[in-house]
Amino acid sequence: MKTLLKTSTAAIALALAGNAVADVNVAYFLEWATPNQIAKVEKAYDDAMGETVNWTNFGSGVGMTEAMLSGDIDISYSQGLTPFANAVNANAPIKMIAIAVAYGAADDCIVRSDSGITKDNASELEGQTVAVPLNTMADFGFRMTMSNLGVDVSQLTIVDQEPADAAVSLADGAVVMACAYGANSLAKMKEVGAPMLTPAEKAAAGISSFDIISVTETFAQEHPDLVRTFVEVTHEANAAWAADQSKLGVIAKDAGMTEEATTSQMSGFTFPTVAEQKRDYFGPEGIARSMVAFMGNMFATSDTPALADYNVTIDTSFLD
Amino acid sequence: MSEFLFEQRNTIVAFLIIGLIISLALSIVKGRRVMATERTDLVFGNPAKALGGWYWIITGMSFVMLIWFYFSWDAARAYNPKAANELCQVAKVESAIKPMRSQFPLDKQNLRGTDLIARDSAQLERINNSLQTLALQNSVKLEAAAILTSLHSALVDQANPVYMKASLATEFKSIAARIDSLTANFNDPDFPGQPTVAQQAAAAAQPGWGDTGKEIPVLATTPLGYRYEAIAAEIRLIAKDFVKLRNTSPHLLAQVADINSRIKDAKARFKADLNISIEEQEARTRLYSQLNKMLKRIDDGAIYPPNSLDDIQSSLVAFDKTHIAQQGSLKAFDTWMMPGGRIMAGNSACSEQGSGRWLPKPSDTLGTLMRIADPDIGFKDIPLLWYRWQPVGGMIAFLFPDWIAELVPGDYPRHTQNGEIKSNFKSNVQDFVTGNYESFSIPVPMGHMWDSIIRVVIGLFFGIILGVPLGLFMGLSRFAKGFFDPMVELYRPVPPLAWAPLILTIFGIQDDGKIFLLFMVAFAIMVISARTGATGTQLSKIHAAHSLGASHRQILRRVILPNSLPEILTGIRISIGVCWGTLVAAEMLAGTTGIGFVENVARKQSDYEVIWVTIIILGVLGLLFDLIMRAVITRTIPWRGKG
Repeated sequence: MKTLLKTSTAAIALALAGNAVADVNVAYFLEWATPNQIAKVEKAYDDAMGETVNWTNFGSGVGMTEAMLSGDIDISYSQGLTPFANAVNANAPIKMIAIAVAYGAADDCIVRSDSGITKDNASELEGQTVAVPLNTMADFGFRMTMSNLGVDVSQLTIVDQEPADAAVSLADGAVVMACAYGANSLAKMKEVGAPMLTPAEKAAAGISSFDIISVTETFAQEHPDLVRTFVEVTHEANAAWAADQSKLGVIAKDAGMTEEATTSQMSGFTFPTVAEQKRDYFGPEGIARSMVAFMGNMFATSDTPALADYNVTIDTSFLD
Repeated sequence: MSEFLFEQRNTIVAFLIIGLIISLALSIVKGRRVMATERTDLVFGNPAKALGGWYWIITGMSFVMLIWFYFSWDAARAYNPKAANELCQVAKVESAIKPMRSQFPLDKQNLRGTDLIARDSAQLERINNSLQTLALQNSVKLEAAAILTSLHSALVDQANPVYMKASLATEFKSIAARIDSLTANFNDPDFPGQPTVAQQAAAAAQPGWGDTGKEIPVLATTPLGYRYEAIAAEIRLIAKDFVKLRNTSPHLLAQVADINSRIKDAKARFKADLNISIEEQEARTRLYSQLNKMLKRIDDGAIYPPNSLDDIQSSLVAFDKTHIAQQGSLKAFDTWMMPGGRIMAGNSACSEQGSGRWLPKPSDTLGTLMRIADPDIGFKDIPLLWYRWQPVGGMIAFLFPDWIAELVPGDYPRHTQNGEIKSNFKSNVQDFVTGNYESFSIPVPMGHMWDSIIRVVIGLFFGIILGVPLGLFMGLSRFAKGFFDPMVELYRPVPPLAWAPLILTIFGIQDDGKIFLLFMVAFAIMVISARTGATGTQLSKIHAAHSLGASHRQILRRVILPNSLPEILTGIRISIGVCWGTLVAAEMLAGTTGIGFVENVARKQSDYEVIWVTIIILGVLGLLFDLIMRAVITRTIPWRGKG
């Protein structure tokens, strides 16, 4: 009887373990146009991996982290660096393996035109109310912009708002400035205001943003080949896109946007090649290494303190 | 004081758990004894049977606390603070061996090679089948089919012992031998020798389990820990070497080179051919890319002959057995005291996964609560509940509308040449109505909790003030019932969050929008309960009042209102609960302060301790409000349920 029990529990455990790795579960964003959506639609990932790839869309990078922790997602494509830094501060067993997309104009701080505030008199923001989605890439951009313009953030009243809500508040004049991401929300905001900094000024201020590909450590340990193939196919799709952009319609349809919106969004994107990633992002002084450490320290709290070394959260072996 | 408590929390928790178990047992004994005596006195269904019973309250509370202590692993930490550290070393071994283990049918059903052959041949088969349906010239189809056949033989030939790479056999043997020697080391109590002074110092310097946000100390501190740490380092190297091995025999390489050149050749001919239909172009581009992908996968040489890995597998099984045996009582402790999850070793740190992660320990949660309750720290620079000095002038300014100043004739003062600003009568009036003058200050409560309470109280207040009269009116007048019923009933079932975008546009980001959301929730409940109360008044009572000469107003005040009070008060109790439930959604609209705001921000930082602190605060505040309402109910309607 006891052996029967033992074998049957072992069988159940085996069955569960066997099913758990049958598919690859990938998280991505809607309204975020990337060339690998062509590969996604054409099932190039499935072909190359030989596994069924399930794509699940998420509203935020935080949601991706939560799903990865619960084991429902193996790979997150285009997770923001801020949610990633927050997650590793909280000891989440996930790793950055590559850069998905770099962008300059995707998140921005928009000031209402009738406030008369520009970057030259930015200190007038002190005492005013601004909308920021806290602990996101836009929050990072906001803090960098303010410190660059010499504005004391503690003198501002910061309202935590999602971009869509912030666009409404900015239009109503409830806030004088709103920092946000997302093409639709930013377009609405620009109706009543103007960006605080130009893309060139932002680049000079060190505000570069990029999204990453992250995986759970378990999946990377058990299926390094699948992770490597995922990165490979993604880069193949990026290279194919760089050479030929005739498949815009496929991306637009999959991203749920019009072709014009897709074109305008993608004009602000760059998709670093493997060589560029290894040199510029993951080199000894690479942007990815310095940014994740910088951001981890910026968002550290006493419950989720900064790591001593953020390099352990980066695994570039899948780029080779 | 609080630091001392924090340092001693393991001891305190250890005694507390024993105390809880004792109080649980005693209160159950007491409860059963009372039940036994009552069984003869009170019949089933007598409401008096549900009164009192403090011992069952103790039973319930002790039970909940014990469950919390148990599943958050606070009990485990209290009785064995070193357990997490040792399990961390065990987890290091498990994670180090995983890349190798996952290739064997130990945790899953199949050997990896079996899986690969099954997967890849199925895919080759699929491509072959799709060939028939594609719009291709026959010659191309035949050529592709031939390539597919070659691919398949390249795949299956890897499993043939004849073609196995010559060096592999010895390499497999050496890996198996290395694992075996490690297993022997495992059993050797002296392995890996005494830790160095530097190791010990580093281990002693690290904080304890849960002392900081890093949760689990990584460096080994016990003899068992040192052994596992050393084994983990070695097995990691072995696993790395094993994973690097490839069955790239000359036979396979020749096959791959041949197939590669055939695909390239076919592609070149396809590129050169200019009169191919667009449909065929697409089909062929896709076909060649598929073939390339298959080749890329097959040329990995990740498949070995079926029995070639037997030695390594049996070594791994022996290693596993030792690995589990060496844990000894730790294994049992892990199973029984740390339920619902395990400790996982990442590359940077060890962390609690499962219930240990999402259910923070009661002692740590209390510590976090005490920390953010400190007004100097607070959350996002705002205290939880504190006070500040505020001038009275500014507080009463809302009594005077600002346009009074505009009615005063004249202009506002302008600055002079030497930069002075002289006030005149008009500006003085404006200062007065806006509260901008010197006045004495009084302490005013402030902070996240206070803001939330105020929002709920104001929302409730307006809900009651407006909802009760309307409800009574609807209960008494056919017009009111017919006119208002559809409106109330239509908006009532809509979840509050659905209103959020509208409210943001209408009210903006200040408190009024959040209060309005809470008001809407409370209002519907109050209307319905007041209406039910009013319609439930016994006609004979109204007739009696009438015949005694009561006016309409007197009937309403003395008969109908007291009769509907039980319903109204129950309605208030319900709406308090629902208002607290809606608060988090309301404060998500535009978060500046409030318990809901704290929770929303903590969520983005995966800060589970703060999340639980907010959950507890919300629960306690809700309970407090409910207790107040219960006191009000027993005082105002003592006759309820007795008529």
